[in-house]
Amino acid sequence: MSSPAPAVASPVPPKSAAPLLETEIPLVNGPAVPYVEIETLRAREFIPQAKEALSSLLREQMEGKLLRPVFNWAGRNSLFPLHWGLACCAIEFAAAFGARWDAERFGVVPRSSPRQCDLLIVNGTVTWKVAHKLITLYEQMPEPKWVIAMGNCATGGGPFRTAYSVVPGVDKLVPVDIYIAGCPPRPEALLDGILQLEELIRRRGE
Amino acid sequence: MATDDLATQLAPRAGANILAVEPFQGLTARVRFRPEGALDVFRAVHDDLGYDHLSMVGAIDWVDHREVFYIVWSDVTKQYLGLSADLTGDAPHIESATPVWPSANWHEREAWELVGVAFDHHPDMRHLLMPDDYAFHPLLRSFKLHEPEELEVKSRSV
Ligand code: SF4
Repeated sequence: MSSPAPAVASPVPPKSAAPLLETEIPLVNGPAVPYVEIETLRAREFIPQAKEALSSLLREQMEGKLLRPVFNWAGRNSLFPLHWGLACCAIEFAAAFGARWDAERFGVVPRSSPRQCDLLIVNGTVTWKVAHKLITLYEQMPEPKWVIAMGNCATGGGPFRTAYSVVPGVDKLVPVDIYIAGCPPRPEALLDGILQLEELIRRRGE
Repeated sequence: MATDDLATQLAPRAGANILAVEPFQGLTARVRFRPEGALDVFRAVHDDLGYDHLSMVGAIDWVDHREVFYIVWSDVTKQYLGLSADLTGDAPHIESATPVWPSANWHEREAWELVGVAFDHHPDMRHLLMPDDYAFHPLLRSFKLHEPEELEVKSRSV
């Protein structure tokens, strides 16, 4: 009767004391890690990824298909322009809110604080001196926000295009959605511009 | 003659700096003075002649020299008087009128930024109509109209 062979040391290297990184899936010949632990590691990575994918999918779907039209409908029927007059076009801007043209029937109500506004109507000549104030006002408005360049001055400098002090077009400073031509545009033209902006908002996110 | 009276009234305090007192359309007279003695002339006009209000300060670019002019108003005689000085050289400058007429402040800021006439000892010499880093004096005849894009690059301040 021969004595049993002496126990041979296992070829598996000793377990490293350092904790396993989550991205490290052990190889077949790698350190012995219980199966359950591996699955736990995989699940730990998978669950947040799945959650993220699912929620972003849901969010996109919800926003794109269900909520976006509602928001757009609400937004375009309650445009609040900033009550900021720059030059002669501001007179027509004011007339558009008077009794004769009555822009309020489209839900357009001028507000005095940029924090309550979602529409910036640049109604007049923008000089380099006032340019940074315009940018400040634009940046103070909450998203989503739109800009209408009213009149030739705001569109491209107008009669003062080559002047030494005038910004040749307000789109050099802020993104513009609607341009209204005219010097000055009549209040009807401003209302038409607002209605076109509403159409733009209706198609937003499609 | 009104101009002679003015000349004799100005003589004690600013006689040396007065070049001419001449009739001028729409004004009582125009006093041409040496820019070096500007402050003496201002004080004499204000204290001795009683012109207590400065209506405006302007500057003209005559290509070979620049002219600064002042229009002052007397509340006693209800009359306007013109003062003017010719400035020569590449960096024309004149003493500020603010110690005598504080209302010169903004007028001189405007004259400096548009025509490039420096006003010495001005209390608050900043740009008035132009952005703070505007590098030109745009009403000089040597100022060329820029294409908008070119000017935008040169005068960008935002
Ligand atoms: S476009 Fe014409 S009316 Fe409007 S601000 Fe300019 S100059 Fe005035």
